[in-house]
Amino acid sequence: MPWSTSLLELTLTMPDIPLTSKGLVAEALASGDMHAAAAVYDIASPAERKRLEAIMFCQRRDMLMFARWEHTPPAVLEALAKSSDAAVQIRVDTNPNASEQALVSSYALQQDSALRTLIARHAHTPPMLLQHLVENCNDIATLRLLSRNPSANASILGQLASRFPLLLDKDIASHPAATGEVLETLYLRGDIHLQAAVLAHAHFPKRLIERAAKSDDVLLHRPLSRHSKLAPALLILLANSPDAAVRAGIAAHPLASPETIQRLCADASALVRRAIAARDDIDLPQAEVLAEDTDHWVRQWLARNPYCPRALLQALAADTSEEVRRAVARNPRCTIHLLEQLAQDSSAWVRAAVAYQPNATSCLMVQLAKDTDIDVLSGVANNQHTPPVVLRQLATSKEPDIRRGVILNRAAQRQQLLLLLDDPYYLHRVLLASSLKLKDSDKWPLHSDPDPMVRFAVWRWFANSLRQSH
Amino acid sequence: MKILVAVKQVAALDDDFEIRADEKDVDEDFLIYDLNEWDDFSLEEAMKIKEASTSEVEVVVVSIGPDRVDESLRKCLAKGADRAIRVWDDSMEGSDAVVVGRILAAVVKKEAPDMVFAGVQSSDQAYAATGISTAAYLDWPHAAVVADLQYNPGANSAVIRRELEGGLLQEVEIACPAVLTIQLGINKPRYASLRGIKQAAAKPIDALSLADIGLSPAEVGANSSLSRIRRMYVPTKGRAQMIEGTIAEQASRLIQIIKEFKGEAA
Repeated sequence: MPWSTSLLELTLTMPDIPLTSKGLVAEALASGDMHAAAAVYDIASPAERKRLEAIMFCQRRDMLMFARWEHTPPAVLEALAKSSDAAVQIRVDTNPNASEQALVSSYALQQDSALRTLIARHAHTPPMLLQHLVENCNDIATLRLLSRNPSANASILGQLASRFPLLLDKDIASHPAATGEVLETLYLRGDIHLQAAVLAHAHFPKRLIERAAKSDDVLLHRPLSRHSKLAPALLILLANSPDAAVRAGIAAHPLASPETIQRLCADASALVRRAIAARDDIDLPQAEVLAEDTDHWVRQWLARNPYCPRALLQALAADTSEEVRRAVARNPRCTIHLLEQLAQDSSAWVRAAVAYQPNATSCLMVQLAKDTDIDVLSGVANNQHTPPVVLRQLATSKEPDIRRGVILNRAAQRQQLLLLLDDPYYLHRVLLASSLKLKDSDKWPLHSDPDPMVRFAVWRWFANSLRQSH
Repeated sequence: MKILVAVKQVAALDDDFEIRADEKDVDEDFLIYDLNEWDDFSLEEAMKIKEASTSEVEVVVVSIGPDRVDESLRKCLAKGADRAIRVWDDSMEGSDAVVVGRILAAVVKKEAPDMVFAGVQSSDQAYAATGISTAAYLDWPHAAVVADLQYNPGANSAVIRRELEGGLLQEVEIACPAVLTIQLGINKPRYASLRGIKQAAAKPIDALSLADIGLSPAEVGANSSLSRIRRMYVPTKGRAQMIEGTIAEQASRLIQIIKEFKGEAA
C-alpha cells in the first residue's frame, strides 16, 4: 500500500503535536473546524470557549446538529442548553449525553410541558429535579415517564405510589429501586398482572411468597418459579404445574433437586428441556439423554454449555445440525483436537466459530487463514493467536469486515495497524484514533481527515489525554 | 466510450423537524444532505464496467442543484468518476421530475454518452420518474429497476434483468444507447479511499448554466413543471395505541388483539 508508506513517512517528519491544552485549543481554533472545536471545548478556558462557540454555533443548523449528535461532549450540550431556541432545547433534553447541569439549565430556562416530559425521562436528570417534578407536576403521562426513570430513587417512587394510587403502580413495580415496603403495598392493592410484576421484582418480600403460591393462577406461578427464595416443597409443587413456562422456571432454578431435574429431563415441553441443557450442574446421565433430544435447540444449548461433559462434546461435534456443531466450536471447554476436526467442517458458519475461539492455536489460525469465507477470515483476523505475519496479510484484505477484525484484535501490533490508518472505511479510522497500540505521532495526521467523525475522534483523543495527564 | 451517471443530493430528515413557513417543504436547517443511496449503486455499476473494460471508458457524473451539491459530486469523483458536471440556474428552483428529465436530456445531448444510468428513485422525493422522463426527452430505449446488467462497452445492445413484484426477474435485451434506472443491491458500492478523496478535492467540477445546455428559463422551474407542491404536512395520527401495563399484561392484550384480528373467540 503506497499510501501507507507515505503516511508513515509523514509521521516521521511531523510538525510538533500540541503538548498542552492551550496548544491543542489554539490549533483547533486555527483550524476553524467545528468538530475539532467540539472535541476540545471542555479543556478550553472561558475566553477560548467563547471563540470555539463562534465556530460551532455560527449557524442554526450546526447548533441543531450538535444538540442531536450522540457524540457531542456534555460540556458542549451544557452551552447549548442555554440557547433560547426551543428546537435546540428539545434535542439537548433528548440527547443521552446531556449532563445533570445541562438538564437543570434547560429546565430553569423554559418550563414548557414537552421539555418537562423529556427531562422527566432523561436518565441523567438529578434526583433533586425529579423530586421537584413529583411535587409540582400533575400530568400523569410525565409522571409515568418519571416513574420509569432509572435515576428515580426509592423515596421518589414511594411518594408517587402514595400520591397516585394505582395510576403508576405498574411502572413502579418494574423499577429496580422500588423497596419491599412499596412493593408489598402495590401487591396487596393490585390486580393479577400487577401482582405478577411485583412477584418478579428482586426486592419482593419473602413473607408474601407463600401467599402468592396459594393462588392457582399461572400468571403468578411463572415469576414465582424463578424466585430465588423458594422453599423445597414449593419447588416440587411448581415442578408439577400443567404450565410449561412454570416448569421451565423450575428447570432453570438453582435450588431444584437432582430428582426433580432428572424427571424434567423427560418433560414433554422442549422449553423445559432447553432450560436443563443450560444448567451449570448438569451431570453425565442427564446430558446423555439431552444429547439425543429431537429438538435441535436442546442439543445446541447443551453443546454451548461450558459444564457439558467433554465426552459428549465429541458426539455433538458430529451432529447433523450445523448450529449444534457451531455451538461445540464456541464452547470454552472444546478441546484442541475437536477444534481441529471442526476447522475442516463443510459449513463455513462452523469454521467461523473455530476461527473466533479464544482457545484455538496459532497453527489452526494459519490453516484457517487459507479459507475463502469472509466470516472465517474475520474470525482469524479477530483471534489473538493469529501470527503477526497473517494479520499483516489480512490488514490488506479487500473486505472491510476482515480489516476491522485486525483493528479489533487485542494482540495486533503497531506495524499491522499502521497499514490501516488510511483505510477507506471511516469507522476503521475512528477506531484507530483511540488505539493504545499506535503512537500519538501515528494518529495526529488524522486530525485533518476528510471525515468529520474521524477528525472529532482524533481531537477528542488528544483532548482526553491532556485532561488525564493534568 | 462514455457512461453518464445522473446523481442527486438528497435531503434526509432528522427525528424532529419544522415545516417551512410557506408549508411547502421542511425548514432547511433540519435537513441533512447526502448522495442518494440508489446513485451510489449506479455509479458503482459504471465503475465496474470501466474497470473491466480493455478499451477506455469515461464515467461522467451529472447533478442539478446549487453549490452545496458539489460535495456529493466530489464523493463520486473520490470513488473514481472521471468528471463531474453540475447544472444550476436559480430559475430551475421548483422543477419537477419531468423538467429535471428535460434538463438531464439536454446534458446528455451535449455529452453524447453511450449509456445513461440513474437511480430507480431518490430517497427524499421518491417519484421514480427522473430517469424515465430523461429517456422520453431523448427518445431512447429505457428500462427501470435494473437488478443485473451484462454490457460490453461499445456494444449495440445490453442484457438486463429487471426486478418485478413477487421476487420475479424479467430478462430483457435492450438496444443501446439506453437509459437504465439502477436498483439497490445490484452491486456492492465501494468506499472512497483517502487518496481518492484528497484527489477529488482538487478536481474541477464543470458548472453549466442554462445557456450552456441550450435551454431557456421559460423551459425550467415550477412554471414549466407538470406538477407543483401545494402543501407538506404531518398527517394527524391514526388509530395506533400504546399497550400499557406490566409485561404479562401487555402480552395478554397482544394475544387478545391477535385473536380478535383472526376472528377467534376471546
